[in-house]
Amino acid sequence: MNTVTRRLSALALAIALPFAASAADYSVGPGSTVGFSGKFQGQQFDGSFGKFTAAISYDAATLASSKFDVTVDLSTAKTGDNDRDGALPGTDFFDVKKFATAHYVTTGFTKDAKGNVIANGNLTLHGVTKPLALKVAFSPNAGGARLSVTGTLKRLDFGVGSGDYKDTSTIADEVLVNGSLNLLPK
Amino acid sequence: MPLRSDPARWSTVAKTFHWLMALLILGNGAFAFWMDGLKPSLNKINMFALHKSIGLTVLALFLLRLLWRAIDRRPPDEPAPRWQQLAAHAVHGVLYLLIVAIPLSGWAFNSAHGFPLQYFKQFNLPALVAKNPELSDVLGTVHVYLFWFLLAVLAAHVAGALKHHVINRDDTLRRMLPFGRAKRKTSSLPGDTP
Repeated sequence: MNTVTRRLSALALAIALPFAASAADYSVGPGSTVGFSGKFQGQQFDGSFGKFTAAISYDAATLASSKFDVTVDLSTAKTGDNDRDGALPGTDFFDVKKFATAHYVTTGFTKDAKGNVIANGNLTLHGVTKPLALKVAFSPNAGGARLSVTGTLKRLDFGVGSGDYKDTSTIADEVLVNGSLNLLPK
Repeated sequence: MPLRSDPARWSTVAKTFHWLMALLILGNGAFAFWMDGLKPSLNKINMFALHKSIGLTVLALFLLRLLWRAIDRRPPDEPAPRWQQLAAHAVHGVLYLLIVAIPLSGWAFNSAHGFPLQYFKQFNLPALVAKNPELSDVLGTVHVYLFWFLLAVLAAHVAGALKHHVINRDDTLRRMLPFGRAKRKTSSLPGDTP
């Protein structure tokens, strides 16, 4: 190959790459939250994690190569109540000394009957790994995109709440998990 | 037993309100001191929830009792010096106020602390005040002191009843006892005399 051809091939490759079957990578910008909502004595409470990391590759057109990989620092859970926030990291709940983080990684994406994108993945929490599906809302904006996800898990599936705290008449089994990420292009 | 009060005795309904509420108030008070000493646990949380539900029951019963009081007749006061009759009624009035104030102070205490309020795990009641830790401490103290005050006023109430029963040997206590019968027939309704 002569120089010109080589240069042209390189150029062609450079142009073609972004359009190849691979989703765009994003980093997580400020104004992003990962949280959960539970029910205590019939009343909803909302919590959020102060520290988490997320590797997001997403393109609605190439779901096959999209991927979420999120790690949450469980010791940073805050729910607006000192008693509860004091109890959550303890052995009765997250047991952060043994299980410092929760990890979610997608295994694939599907669409439900209404056309919503559903992220299928595995959540590892409190030493237990179980499937967790998240409904995905992705809206590109001037600076990048806003990614919102919601899903529901059963805390007892993960052994969160031991002994007396298994009582679901006081602390509901179902916990809503949510994420709202401000994505910036990499 | 008559549904409505007559000059000789209190009605079944009035007696039921009186003794059921006495039992719930004193029982819930004793229960509160016991549960307060429990180690932090979900059981303790559930015991507190039970205490709150019983307190709300007292409040609800009190409203029904007021309603009944408006409908029902009342046996006339037994003979006693005027000041003693006035004192007895004053004691009743203060007891009524405390029966309302104690649950309400507990409810406000709960709200200020930021706890939910669920009635026997069935439904939730709204917060009376916004979450406020300083106010919560004050209301918690008020809640307890009001109960001590109630015990003091109750002592006067019980002393009065016993005084009538033992010294005057009249029907004041007997006509409120669950299966009590009036010793003597009260002559007539005040309005019956020609």
